[in-house]
Amino acid sequence: MTLDPIKPAFNPVDWAVPVFVITIVAEIILARFRKARAVYEVRDTATSLAMGLGSQIAGLLTAGVIGVTILWVYEHRLFTLPMNAWWAWVAVFFLEDLTYYWFHRLSHERRFWWASHVNHHTSQHYNLATALRQTWTGGIAGTWLLWLPMIFFGFPPAMVAIQKGISLVYQYWIHTEAIRRFPRWFEAVFNTPSHHRVHHARNPRYLDANYAGILIIWDRMFGSYIPELDEEPCRYGVVHNLGDFNIFRVAFHEWMAIGKDLAGSRSIREVIGYLFGPPGWSPDGSRDTSATLKAKWLAREAAVSPSAEAATAPLQAAE
Amino acid sequence: MNAVLLQLTASAVLVAFMILVAGLARIARPVAPLDEASARALLAGEFPDLPPNYLWIAGDGAGVIARAGEDALVAYRLGDSWVARSMPWPLALSAPVKRGKVLLKLRDPAAPMARLTVSGVNPWPPENPREALAA
Repeated sequence: MTLDPIKPAFNPVDWAVPVFVITIVAEIILARFRKARAVYEVRDTATSLAMGLGSQIAGLLTAGVIGVTILWVYEHRLFTLPMNAWWAWVAVFFLEDLTYYWFHRLSHERRFWWASHVNHHTSQHYNLATALRQTWTGGIAGTWLLWLPMIFFGFPPAMVAIQKGISLVYQYWIHTEAIRRFPRWFEAVFNTPSHHRVHHARNPRYLDANYAGILIIWDRMFGSYIPELDEEPCRYGVVHNLGDFNIFRVAFHEWMAIGKDLAGSRSIREVIGYLFGPPGWSPDGSRDTSATLKAKWLAREAAVSPSAEAATAPLQAAE
Repeated sequence: MNAVLLQLTASAVLVAFMILVAGLARIARPVAPLDEASARALLAGEFPDLPPNYLWIAGDGAGVIARAGEDALVAYRLGDSWVARSMPWPLALSAPVKRGKVLLKLRDPAAPMARLTVSGVNPWPPENPREALAA
């Protein structure tokens, strides 16, 4: 069988759309009859779903530039990997997931890319609709460039696109409170609702953790894994939650904040810091970053609890 | 192009359907109006390093302004959740009241303005500003 190396034979996300609708409705109904844990606030849900719809439109605006760039890189590839070889699919699975991990980590730890990604974290709820609260500015932020080395190496663009779609669909179903935990072996290898709840939490303990796409092994390898603790329920959202449900504010607020900071910058150092420092960076250190929030939290724990060492052990073990 | 428009239209219809189902289900978190204890608990979660020493609760219980040193800690309800910010206390004290709401400029593109309900029993600024100022 010959597969087109440029145009994907199918888009996993398109195929999954009916599943998205059915499972969101099912989660709501099950929660309504107290058969599953889920909280839906109607305006929050509308915001999440409108962001998903808007991201489809925004994607169309940058698709041309991204497509042309990908084709150009593929024309200058080092090797030609076959689309019909099983080992090539195994390789693309692992390499795409590793690329996703670093894309996602960058999107949290550097403000320029956080500005694009933050909208996904702005809901104070964690349900299947939250999964669809997708970025409008990812194309402009340029995070797609991180996948170009795979194309340059010789993975067909269609193969990478299909694997990216599979990863996106996989990450959909883990946005739920309805599933507590899977068997230990599954939690050890795969990204799960429990791991991803931690990722969406704003508790200082849980900040900047669990960046995985499909495999949680990357977080364990690179020191960003933090387990969910029953004694500390996740509080969802961002450190400074949004003031309303305006979808344009959801999409652009961090870009606006960057613009405001840049307008007040007094040196190149400040410009670079505001753009590429961690979210919350400020020249005088007067604002909080994840690191300072965690440090303050650890100090509070140490001050109030004689067993603070035990309380913070999982965090420290993960670092 | 027609296929794209058709796909977007279908997506919009499905989105409207899911919002309708979410609205009918009424499974948001229950949120009671704030009283002093719940306001303190809320602020302790949002500003753990800034214990408030003066508290003003909005007339409808949907917001709070607290003083912690030179900072005003502001929190207000959004849907079934809360939004919190801090601002200089003198700016909070001088915030205007219009149409029964105190308007607090939060100077943040993510949450530019808080509008908290003022009542006759609990006016803003506080009737006894000495208490608030001295706190």
